[in-house]
Amino acid sequence: MNTEVADPTNLSEKKDFLVRSSSLKDVRSFSREVFEKFKIDEDLREELVLAIAEAAQNIVKHAYKDFPDTQDRMAVRITCTGKELEIAFFDKGKPVEESKVKHRAIDDVKPGGLGTFFIQEIMDSIKFKEGDKPWINNLVLTKKL
Amino acid sequence: MKFKVTDSENISTVFLNGEIDMDIADDVREVIFPLIDSGKEVHLNLKDVQYMDSSGISVIVESSKRAKDKNTKVELKEVSQPVEKVLAMARKFL
Repeated sequence: MNTEVADPTNLSEKKDFLVRSSSLKDVRSFSREVFEKFKIDEDLREELVLAIAEAAQNIVKHAYKDFPDTQDRMAVRITCTGKELEIAFFDKGKPVEESKVKHRAIDDVKPGGLGTFFIQEIMDSIKFKEGDKPWINNLVLTKKL
Repeated sequence: MKFKVTDSENISTVFLNGEIDMDIADDVREVIFPLIDSGKEVHLNLKDVQYMDSSGISVIVESSKRAKDKNTKVELKEVSQPVEKVLAMARKFL
C-alpha cells in the first residue's frame, strides 16, 4: 500500500491488483483498511466497499472480458479531503464506452448491470476519463462526507 | 468452497457463509441449481454471510426464476444485516 501525502490536508492510499475475480477480496480488504485508517463513518464503510468492489468487478468482467488470463494489474486509489472521498480506478483494458454503461432490468440481472446500479445508489458522482499513460481507463467516483 | 446442505422431506437448506462475490458465485450455483432441478424447495440460510455483492444477488434471482420454471421455490432464511442492506438496495431496482 502506498501512502501519498503531497497535500497534508489530503490522505491518499493506492494499491494495485491482478485483474481477476480472485483479487476482489483483496480489493475489499484494502478498502476496509483504508477506511479504518481514514476514520470514515462506520455506517458508510461497507456501502463504499460494495461500490469499490462492484467497480473493480466491472473491470474484470467488461474491460478484460476477452482476456481472462491477463497478467495486467488494475490500481485503486482512495483519497480523502475531509469533506469528500474520491475513489479512482485505473486499468489497461478495453476502453469504456460510457454510453454503454447502464444498468439492466432486474429480470435480466447480471453482475455488471446491478453492480452499476449499486455504484449509482451509493456514490454522488461517477466520471469516466481517459487514463494517463500507461492507463487506458480512469473511473473516478466521489462521495461527500 | 463447500457449503453445508441439510434435507428435510422435500426441502433442502443450503447454509451459505462468508463473502459471496463473483469469485465464488459459480460455486454457489453448482450447489443450488441441482437441488432445484431435482424439484426440491430450496431454503438459503444467510445468517453467516458477511458480505454479498451483485453476483450474489444474481444467484438468488436466477435461482428463484429457475425454481419457478420447475414449479418449486427458493426462500431466504435468517438473512444477515449486511445482506439485508444489499437486498434492500436491489429491491429499488424492481
